[in-house]
Amino acid sequence: MKEVVLRSEKVNKHFGITHAVKDVSLEFYRGEVHGLIGENGSGKSTYCSMLSGIHSISSGRFILEGKELNVKSLVDANMNGISIVVQEMGTLSGLTVAENIFLGREHKFMRGFFKDTAQMNRETQQLLDSYGLNRISASRVIDNYSFEDRKLIEIVKATYFEPLVVTIDETTTALSQKGREELFKIIEHLKETNKTVIFISHDLSEVLAHTDRISVLRDGELVKTVNSDEVDADELKRLMVGRELDNRYYRTDYDGTVSDEVVLSVSNLSVPGEFEDISFDLHRGEILGIGGLSECGMHELGKAIFGGSYDRSGSVSLPQKGLEITSIPEAIKHGIAYTSKDRDNESIVLAINIADNITLPSLDVLAKKRVLNKKELHEFAQSHADRMSVRMTGIKQYVFDLSGGNKQKVVLARWLGRDSDIFVLDSPTRGIDVKVKADIYALMGELKERGKSIIMISEEILELIGMSDRILIMKNGTFNGTFARSAVLTEEDLIAKMV
Amino acid sequence: MPVIGFVGLVFVFSILTNGRILNPRNINLMLSQVYVLMIASLGVFMIMTVGGLDFSQGSILGLTSIVFARVSQHSIILGIIAAMIAGALMGAFNGFFHVKFRIASFIVTICTMYLFRGLCEYLTTHGPISASLRVISFDETWLKVLLTTIVITIGFLAIHFTRLGYDLRAIGAGEIAARFSGCRPELTTFLVYTVAGMITGFASFINVIRVGSITGTAGSQLETQILIALVLGGMPIGGGAKARFSNIIFGALTYSVLERSLPMVFPVSATQQLVKGIVFLIVVALTIDRKSLRVIK
Amino acid sequence: MNETISKFKRSKYFGYALLFGLALFFWAFFKILSPHNFGTSKLMANYLQTSIQYAVGGCGFYFIVVMGLFDMSIGANIVLSSLVGVLLSRQFGYYGLILGCLLCGTLIGSFNGFLYTRLRIPSMIVTVGLMLVLESVAAYVVKLDPAGFPGKLTDPNILAFNHAPWNYIVAVSAFLLMGFILRFTKLGTYFNAIGSNEFVAKSMGINVEKYKFIGFVLLHFFVGIMALLTVSYGRGMLAVTGMESMGRNFKPLMGTFFGVAFKKYGMPVSAIVIGEFIITLIFNGLVALNVPTTINDFVTGAVLLIIVTLTNRGARGSVVK
Repeated sequence: MKEVVLRSEKVNKHFGITHAVKDVSLEFYRGEVHGLIGENGSGKSTYCSMLSGIHSISSGRFILEGKELNVKSLVDANMNGISIVVQEMGTLSGLTVAENIFLGREHKFMRGFFKDTAQMNRETQQLLDSYGLNRISASRVIDNYSFEDRKLIEIVKATYFEPLVVTIDETTTALSQKGREELFKIIEHLKETNKTVIFISHDLSEVLAHTDRISVLRDGELVKTVNSDEVDADELKRLMVGRELDNRYYRTDYDGTVSDEVVLSVSNLSVPGEFEDISFDLHRGEILGIGGLSECGMHELGKAIFGGSYDRSGSVSLPQKGLEITSIPEAIKHGIAYTSKDRDNESIVLAINIADNITLPSLDVLAKKRVLNKKELHEFAQSHADRMSVRMTGIKQYVFDLSGGNKQKVVLARWLGRDSDIFVLDSPTRGIDVKVKADIYALMGELKERGKSIIMISEEILELIGMSDRILIMKNGTFNGTFARSAVLTEEDLIAKMV
Repeated sequence: MPVIGFVGLVFVFSILTNGRILNPRNINLMLSQVYVLMIASLGVFMIMTVGGLDFSQGSILGLTSIVFARVSQHSIILGIIAAMIAGALMGAFNGFFHVKFRIASFIVTICTMYLFRGLCEYLTTHGPISASLRVISFDETWLKVLLTTIVITIGFLAIHFTRLGYDLRAIGAGEIAARFSGCRPELTTFLVYTVAGMITGFASFINVIRVGSITGTAGSQLETQILIALVLGGMPIGGGAKARFSNIIFGALTYSVLERSLPMVFPVSATQQLVKGIVFLIVVALTIDRKSLRVIK
Repeated sequence: MNETISKFKRSKYFGYALLFGLALFFWAFFKILSPHNFGTSKLMANYLQTSIQYAVGGCGFYFIVVMGLFDMSIGANIVLSSLVGVLLSRQFGYYGLILGCLLCGTLIGSFNGFLYTRLRIPSMIVTVGLMLVLESVAAYVVKLDPAGFPGKLTDPNILAFNHAPWNYIVAVSAFLLMGFILRFTKLGTYFNAIGSNEFVAKSMGINVEKYKFIGFVLLHFFVGIMALLTVSYGRGMLAVTGMESMGRNFKPLMGTFFGVAFKKYGMPVSAIVIGEFIITLIFNGLVALNVPTTINDFVTGAVLLIIVTLTNRGARGSVVK
């Protein structure tokens, strides 16, 4: 009989109106590797964030070895025997390998004020050796190691203090084949020492090969937990998707034909380390969807089309005007609009007011012989904020007080104001409530009607299927599949090309 | 707020000095300090609006004063132009290192503060440099007021009626987002440093009118005076949306009142500085916008 | 073979080789140009005596610079602490001098740290205000000095730190202490962690405010030691006002930048000490070449700018204010 070490009881998480995790009850056995899979936004990362104290729990509870777990921070979780490796955290430069591993927990080596560095290094080295990482030296400054080694050190860090449960979240996408093999050795090692590993990955074959059981999440709900040796990849995909298309907000037509007129042509575009040799044409009145996993390079592609990437090679051109886009001001001048996935940092200036945000890209058109008229600017901002029905106290309100959806409306208002022709929309509905989402889809439809063209980059598969005339799927920095608009297109079809 | 501070300060010192600070001779003396400070503050105002700092303005003033003094022997007009070009070059030097190598502005300008000051001292190794005697004829209050008004008005118009002001505030508030909104943060920042140097180059003309000959320490500490003046005028340290043009006017005036009145109330110079330091700290502590500084370094 | 070379290139021996190479280069350069006025063994000892003072301050500066903080009031603290030391030495001899410098320095450090962490004003701005305050306080302290030459160490019996061996003993103790703190206490790790990523450091349970405060205290404790060496070396100290004390900030800072640059070789303390020596070599080399001393500030600025350009550059697209 397997012993349950950790279980969750009806755990829920709300982000504002979004219900990210719904009543998830799960059991984890001692000494098992438990895969957690699901689409982007299915709630698997949020679930683990709650487990490890990064996010608070909205309702429900985790029970570890019979006791309710009540953690408020990462450190707290560690103290209680839960550790997590997430992509965003990383190791700290300027510290030695040993210092990184024991950061915040030096007390074990403290003799009064004196820190027994030698002992700390020795112990770290033993730890590294036991994982087969003897090429890494505990006393060296971590800057000397490659990105991949630092990732492995992070995993060692997450496991050294004998946690009961280790969560490894989508780390493999950052590792090469050799690094992955080392990671799986580490996972094997953990399993042998009777630890529980929760392994989150998009790579289904990897999950199947290295886990004992797999739980599938969809839209924040637990679909099913299965034994890894009783399923195959197709079955998993079916479980991950398995639902009717929800087309309440999406386009209702299935006519994907667009005009032959090419408005934007991308050829041999590359950004080192992000994506390589991307070429495609965008037509007048087309909604072109670009999908993939979040690390596939599509977000950087959007930025590069807008002229926002450094070290870009290849070309982005407007065939009708016969010119190339090489910088953001040029892109804006020639009618390209852009919304970023990282809305707060890249799409909108948080610390200025709504009016200034709306007028900023249009200042060159609003100026008459370089002179700006305050009243005109005010009216311009007011009319476009009203056009998008931004909920605000007035256009002098600062943007940082607005909700995500309203911020996005301000972003769209500025580009409508600029009268852009080509919209590069990266994750246009990310973190936005249903009502504003519907508004944004309606706006996209309207723009299409008016002959504007849209590149929609999205991690949401349904959105891609529901809105696009054509879908390009990216994987590891290149295109891996093309789909035309069709009523029979399924999520499985797209996912198959993503992973 | 800065207006209240200014009026309040004048009021307090009027009482403390029994109204002596308000007599015409004193006001004249007070104004004689304002011109250079206010003009040079215009450039630093723009720098601080984009979120930077500049500690080299004093040295730029010293060096451009030497340039002006030298060239004024031939032609005063040419002297002004030469000083402005020299100032612009020095500002561009600052901007280049800050923008191109992404080194924090205060570090770059501290380095150049020494660099330019060293040149200034080196050029005056054999004694002060005198300007043409004709510049004395320009030492007229109306002229200095007129010149200052012209510079400040140009600055005001540029910041309020062209995209300059919008660009500066957006870059100061969020450089990355500003870039994605069509601003050119790198170019703009570089130009702002250049123009700030040029403006100070112009101020060197008024400086030389007043002092006649230039020593190695000419203009020293102008940078800190500007910083204190702008802060007293309500300038937010991190720049951004809350920067107001009035910060320059009231800042320079408040600083000059403080500078002029403190010796009347506190005869010991150390006490004057103590009061100045404490007032500076209090004003910063009260006015600083901590919300927009995510990490306070 | 290649692996051995690349391993060597990342080791501290490579760091040492680089620094000694630089020192040798500048020594040889000036020695060739000015064989008699530069680089004799007696002069080298002089250079070393000067440079260790700055190196002590540079060590202190390192604590906060690695956290991304700055302090404009170091020069003012040197002046004030020196004067307090001199004043107390009139009555308590060596005890007064030593404790006056060290305690006064440390107290100012805690005051700075307190204001910075409590008021939450950028360190550079708050320390500009503090510099004004400290300078003026120093001017008062001088007036308290009953001696005929206020601020002068007139008594020849109190000048042990003016020359070898005591100045070296003090400086070397400071360097060892610094090395010890960085290597054998939590502080070194935490300062680096905070400098590397404050948010991650916080989420690892580090009390960031507390360690920033400690950073300021340590900095000014070292500045206190530097004050002791400086006042002894110069046999006294002048009170200055009008921000003139700022000039004393930058020689220590240059050493600190060396330390930051060589951090990756795991040898910041040695880098600060040797770096300061290199800088002193350059300055004295110029003097030996009969370059007017008025150019000193120019060289300070140029050297500092070159050092930061080589060591402190930001990545493309990063936001640097």
